[in-house]
Amino acid sequence: MKIAAKKFEGYIFALPGFIYTVVVLGYPLIYNLILSFKDLNIRNLRSGNAVLVGLANYKQLFTDSTFQLILRNTFIFTIGSLVFQFTIGFILALFFSKKFKLAGPIRGLLLIAYMMPIAVTAMLGKNIFGVSEGLINDLLLKMGFISEPVQWLVSTSTALIAVIAVNCWIGIPFNMLILTSGLTNIPQRVYDSAAVDGANAWQRFYHITLPLMRPAIMAVLMLGFIYTFKAFDLMFIMTRGGPLNSTDVLGTYAYKLSFTKYQFSMGAATGMVLFCCLLVIGLFYLRLIAGEED
Amino acid sequence: MLEKIKFTLNSRRGRKNIIFSFLAMLIAVIFLFPIYWLLMMSFKPDIEIFAKVLTYYPHEFTIQPWLENLQNQEFLCSLRNSFMIATTSMLLSIIFGVPAAYGMGRYKVSGRKIILLTFLVTQMLPPSLMLTPMYLIFNNLGLLGTYLAPAIAISSGAVPFIVIILRPYFKSIPRSLDDAARIDGCNLFQSFFRIMIPAIKTGIIVVVVISFLSGWNDLAYSMTFNVKAEMRPLTANIYKFQSKYGTRWNAIMAYGAILVIPVILVFVFLQKYIVGGLTAGAVKE
Repeated sequence: MKIAAKKFEGYIFALPGFIYTVVVLGYPLIYNLILSFKDLNIRNLRSGNAVLVGLANYKQLFTDSTFQLILRNTFIFTIGSLVFQFTIGFILALFFSKKFKLAGPIRGLLLIAYMMPIAVTAMLGKNIFGVSEGLINDLLLKMGFISEPVQWLVSTSTALIAVIAVNCWIGIPFNMLILTSGLTNIPQRVYDSAAVDGANAWQRFYHITLPLMRPAIMAVLMLGFIYTFKAFDLMFIMTRGGPLNSTDVLGTYAYKLSFTKYQFSMGAATGMVLFCCLLVIGLFYLRLIAGEED
Repeated sequence: MLEKIKFTLNSRRGRKNIIFSFLAMLIAVIFLFPIYWLLMMSFKPDIEIFAKVLTYYPHEFTIQPWLENLQNQEFLCSLRNSFMIATTSMLLSIIFGVPAAYGMGRYKVSGRKIILLTFLVTQMLPPSLMLTPMYLIFNNLGLLGTYLAPAIAISSGAVPFIVIILRPYFKSIPRSLDDAARIDGCNLFQSFFRIMIPAIKTGIIVVVVISFLSGWNDLAYSMTFNVKAEMRPLTANIYKFQSKYGTRWNAIMAYGAILVIPVILVFVFLQKYIVGGLTAGAVKE
């Protein structure tokens, strides 16, 4: 009897939050799925008589060359960002896991880049990659890497590079933070005994650090994929997806379809494609951490 | 003192400490240069901004770009909207999130594992996916153009986040503490509010701050659900101000700097808690 009452108490606290989440997230998600099989647009929004069209929206998306470009951009943006932010984040994590006085405070300080409103970061990126007023062009000119200013955000071939660069700046501190916490969990005695056995620095890194870091590395890569793949704010402020869709990704494209072309069902279908891609990686991530749950 | 410095310079550990700290500072300077750039641009007069040669610090210092924003009615209105949206979403997140974290942390609620995994999945849902369905639902409910619409949307992600971050805090409270409270005559809610919440003060501060910032930093929801520009927060009006000012980068940078101030303040005062909170949430649970 007493145990039953105890359990009941738990529900009093847990249920409101759970119900709230299900209603506020679950309902729109199902609504979005249904919407993606309909033909809701600006013309029939008022009347509400959008008919079911089955997979027609998806068919239209995948045969559209713009959408193929969007998919390509999304993957290039995600993989490109992951490679650089992970590599640099890992190097910084190795450095900041050393014991010295300023390690903690400065490592924390770098997190400001991660916490800044992305709208501001994007605006700053727009300035820094500007043609004549930009810091990047000025530095590259002064160092002699280029002879005339690069039209970073104006040219379709360089805009995505600039956006990836800014996104790496945002992502590096997060990668560093998670990897550092993974590194500090490796007991020092493992390294000590390896040193006794005569392992050099590279061997210690390859045979001890990397294998023991595997869970943290997997987690940071999967989380990085999830966070990067759904990007929206950065492109929306920095380039508006332009020039000529060259920085459009699934997130911005779904928005454009729904709110500039008012093709709500097409926007919903694009959202579903985004969701399915995230779900695949998300399930791997859940499997990874499910083992750590109690 | 001098002895101490001498010792530091001579010992191997001391030298390592100095060299590494110097390197760390160098990394920080390079990495955070864009933020320095944001601030410096905001103190440059127009002439310097439009000059052919790029300056790396304001040769002529002015606070005009800041004043321009702070005297602008539209800017002040956006600032108020930012506060309203962030506060409303924070309140919703806390009201639903904190008790849920407690319930799931202290009691053997059945299906706890499934609920936790569901909450983790919600962290993967992008705003750009939720925009279309939520817009249409809020449209039917007549919520478009209110602070509540973006606040509900933002809190939908923050509630699960709070549960993920705060649950371990609640779990760490010794069982004897709530038993003692109950024996002393506290009822269920009294022990929650008077004993449990104060016991995990730092955790509460972290989630309050992070949920406020997630509302403060939001762009997608506030921009889409608040059709009228006068209801939009600073993040969503950046674009409008950008085109309005043209290439007036100093005014735009001052605008951005004001938007970053709360983030910097949080950092100065709460850095170590936030760092702990973020790591706890990402890798385990």
